[in-house]
Amino acid sequence: MSGSEMSEDEERPCPSDLTGGATAKARNCCFNAAVSGGVSGGVSGGVGGFHFSPHPDQVLENVLENVLCFLTDRRDRNAASLVSKSWHRAEALTRSEVFIGNCYAVSPGRVTARFERVTSVAIKGKPRFADFSLLPPDWGAHFTPWASVMGDSYRGLEKLYLKRMSISDDDLALLARCFPSFKELVLVCCEGFGTSGLAILARDCRKIRALDLIESDVSDDEVDWISYFPENETCLESLAFDCVECPIDFEALEKLVIRSPSLKRLRLNRFVSITQLYRLMIRAPQLTSLGTGSFGNPTLTDEQDPDYASAFAACKSIVCLSGFREIAPEYLPAIYSVCCNLTSLNFSYGANINTEQFKSVISRCHKLQVLWVFDSVCDEGLEAAAETCKDLREIRVFPIEAREDAEAPVSDVGLLAISEGCRKLKSILYFCQRMTNAAVIAMSKNCPDLVVFRLCIMGRHLPDHVTGEPMDEGFGAIVKNCKKLTRLAVSGLLTDKAFSYIGQYGKLVRTLSVAFAGDSDMALKYVLEGCPKLQKLEIRDCPFGDLSLRSGLHHYYNMRFLWLSSCRVTLQGCQEIACQLPRLVVEVISGEDEERSVSPEHVNTLYMYRSLDGPRADAPSFVQIL
Amino acid sequence: MITLQSSDKDVFEIEQSILIQSGTIKNMVEDDFTFIPLPSVDTETLIKIIEYMKKHADKTDSKEKNIKEFDKDFMKKTLNELFALVFAANYLHISSLLELLYPSIADRIKDKITEAIRQIFSIRCDFTPEEERRIIMDNKWAHEGTEIEGTLD
Repeated sequence: MSGSEMSEDEERPCPSDLTGGATAKARNCCFNAAVSGGVSGGVSGGVGGFHFSPHPDQVLENVLENVLCFLTDRRDRNAASLVSKSWHRAEALTRSEVFIGNCYAVSPGRVTARFERVTSVAIKGKPRFADFSLLPPDWGAHFTPWASVMGDSYRGLEKLYLKRMSISDDDLALLARCFPSFKELVLVCCEGFGTSGLAILARDCRKIRALDLIESDVSDDEVDWISYFPENETCLESLAFDCVECPIDFEALEKLVIRSPSLKRLRLNRFVSITQLYRLMIRAPQLTSLGTGSFGNPTLTDEQDPDYASAFAACKSIVCLSGFREIAPEYLPAIYSVCCNLTSLNFSYGANINTEQFKSVISRCHKLQVLWVFDSVCDEGLEAAAETCKDLREIRVFPIEAREDAEAPVSDVGLLAISEGCRKLKSILYFCQRMTNAAVIAMSKNCPDLVVFRLCIMGRHLPDHVTGEPMDEGFGAIVKNCKKLTRLAVSGLLTDKAFSYIGQYGKLVRTLSVAFAGDSDMALKYVLEGCPKLQKLEIRDCPFGDLSLRSGLHHYYNMRFLWLSSCRVTLQGCQEIACQLPRLVVEVISGEDEERSVSPEHVNTLYMYRSLDGPRADAPSFVQIL
Repeated sequence: MITLQSSDKDVFEIEQSILIQSGTIKNMVEDDFTFIPLPSVDTETLIKIIEYMKKHADKTDSKEKNIKEFDKDFMKKTLNELFALVFAANYLHISSLLELLYPSIADRIKDKITEAIRQIFSIRCDFTPEEERRIIMDNKWAHEGTEIEGTLD
C-alpha cells in the first residue's frame, strides 16, 4: 500500500486479494489521483481521477451528488465546494438550505445563480440595536428584492425564516402565489405587513405546516385572517401569533384547531381569554407547546369556572409553556400538573407574577431547561428556581420597568443562587440594578459551560455595589474561566482593564455588546486586536474614537458587522476606513437623538459591514454611504 | 441459478431469488440470461455485494433488527472499499445498498477541511488561485454563519 495515496482514516488493512500482489495497489486506489490521468481521461482534476476501472464522468458526478446530499452542515458544504470544479458544481446543485447572516452582504441574484435547488432560506436583516429604537424606521432590510428573485428561481421553496426584516403584504402574497410547496414561515422581529397579508397566506398556502410570528409588528387591517384558512383539514403543526396585537375571531380559531389534527404548537395572543383557552385545550390535547394568551379575563357567567386543571392535565405532552399575558394569578394552580414535564417556561410576557406565585410553580419544574421571567419574581424566586431546576441550560431575567432609576428586585444574590444551583447553565441574560464582582466571578467558576453571558446592569456606570470598584474583575473572570464563551454583553462601570481581559482571554468570542463603558480608545483596541473570532460588535455610548477604529482594519473583512453609536468617531475617521477597505460598506446614519450626548463633529451612528456586491441601492436619505 | 463473473474472471453461482435485488441483474434475467459478466466489478467487491444481497434476501420482520446490525457492521469498511461498493451498487442498481453507502461516505468527509478531503479522494485542485479566492470569499461573506438564535422552544 502506498502511503501517499491512503488517507489517515485507512485504519483497516485491505483484505487479502485473491489474484496476487500485482493488482493490489491499483485496486486500493479507486479514486486515484491524477498522476497518469486515469482511464476516464481528463477527470483527474475533477471528481477524482479513476485509475482502475473506467467510470464515465456522469456516473462519478451522480455518485458525488448523492453523497453530498448527506452533508447538511454549512461548514462541511463550504469545505466541499472548494475541493475542485466538479465538487463545486455538485455541491451547488445539492445545497438545499441557504443562510444569509446579513441581507446586504450579498445580492439575491448572486445567491440564486450559485444555488439552484434551494428549499429553505434564512435571512437576517437589521442589526440588533434596531430593537432599541437606535435605528430610524425605513432604514432598510426589505424582503421584496429577495422575494422577487426567489419567486423566479426557487419554485420549490418550502421554508422561509426571516429575522429583523421588513416584509410587506405583497411579499406574503408572492409567497402564496409562487411557492406551491410552501410549508413553513417564521418571522422574528419583522414588520411591514398586516393581517391582510396573513389572510392571503392562510387562504392560498395549502400545504402550510407552520406559521410562526415571533415578536413581530403586525398591523391591524381589520381582516379576520384566521377565518381564511381553507375549510377542510389542515396540515398545521405550528401556529404562533402571540405578538399579534389585534383581536381574532374566536369561533374561527376554535374551528381551525378542531380541523388541525397535527397541531403541536399553539401560541395565542392576549385577546384569547382563559375561558376560550379552555375550549381550545380540550380540542387539542396533543399539544406539546402552548402559549396561553391572556390567562385572565374569564367570561363571567353564572356557571362555575370550567375545570382548567383537568384541561391541562389532559395535555400530557406539553413541554413548553408561555403566554400569561394578563394573568389572573388565582388560576395559576391549574398548570401544576404539566410542570413536572416542562422543559421550557416563559413567564416574561405576563407582568403580574409575584414571588410566591412563581415559587409555587417553579418548585414543580424539575426538568426545566429554559426559563424566561420578569424580575418581579425577585432574588427569592430565582433561589427557588436554582433549588429545583438542576438541568437548567438557559435563563433570561427581564426588567418589568426598563427605567434606570427603578428599584430592581433582582441582584447579585439571585445571580449567585443560579450559579450555585444550575451548574449546567449555558446561556444567561440578566437585567438588574445592583451587582457585585464576587457574584459574577462565582458564576464564572460554577458554570464552566457558559456559551452566552449577557449581564445588563441598568443605570449607567454602576460599580460593584458592595466594594465600589469597577466590574472589571467580574467580566474578566467570565472570559478567563468560561472557555466555551462565544457571546458576551457587558455593562456597569468598566475601565479599559475589562477590555484588556476580553482581548486576552476571549479567543472564541463572536458577538460582543458594549454600552456606556471603557475609558479610552485602548479598550476597543484590545478587543479588535485580541479577539480573532469576533464577528458582530455592537457598541453604544462609549468614548471610542478614530484611533480605535483604525486598529480593526486588519479584521473588518472577517466580521459580519460593526455598530458604533454615540461614540467619538468622526466622519473623517469613517472615511478613512472606507478608503482603506473598499469592500466594506460604511453607513453613517444621522437619526434623531434626543439626548444628544454626542458633539456635532462626532458621527451619530456608524454601521459597517462587508459586502460582495457593493453598497445597497435602497438606502434612505438619512443614511450616508461613504 | 445464475452465474456472475467478476472482472477478475472469477465465477459465482447464486440463486436468482437473491440476485433480483439488483435491478440490472433482474432485467438481464428477464431477458433469459443465466450467465452475467460484470467487467466493472472485481472479485473482492462482488463477494461483498453477494454477501449483502444474501442477507437482505430474507426480509421477514423477525430478521429486521438482525439486518440493521448487519448493515451497520457492513459499513465499517475502508473508504476505498466503500467507493468500490458504491460504483458496483450504482451499476447494479441496488438501491437499498446505495442508501446505506451514500451517507456512510458522506460521514467520512464531515468535519474536514478542503485539503483533507482532497487527500482522501486523491484529487488535485483545478481552480486558479483567483477562482479559489472568490469562492472562499463567497462562502465566508455570504454563506458563513452559526446557528439561528432567539426563539424559545
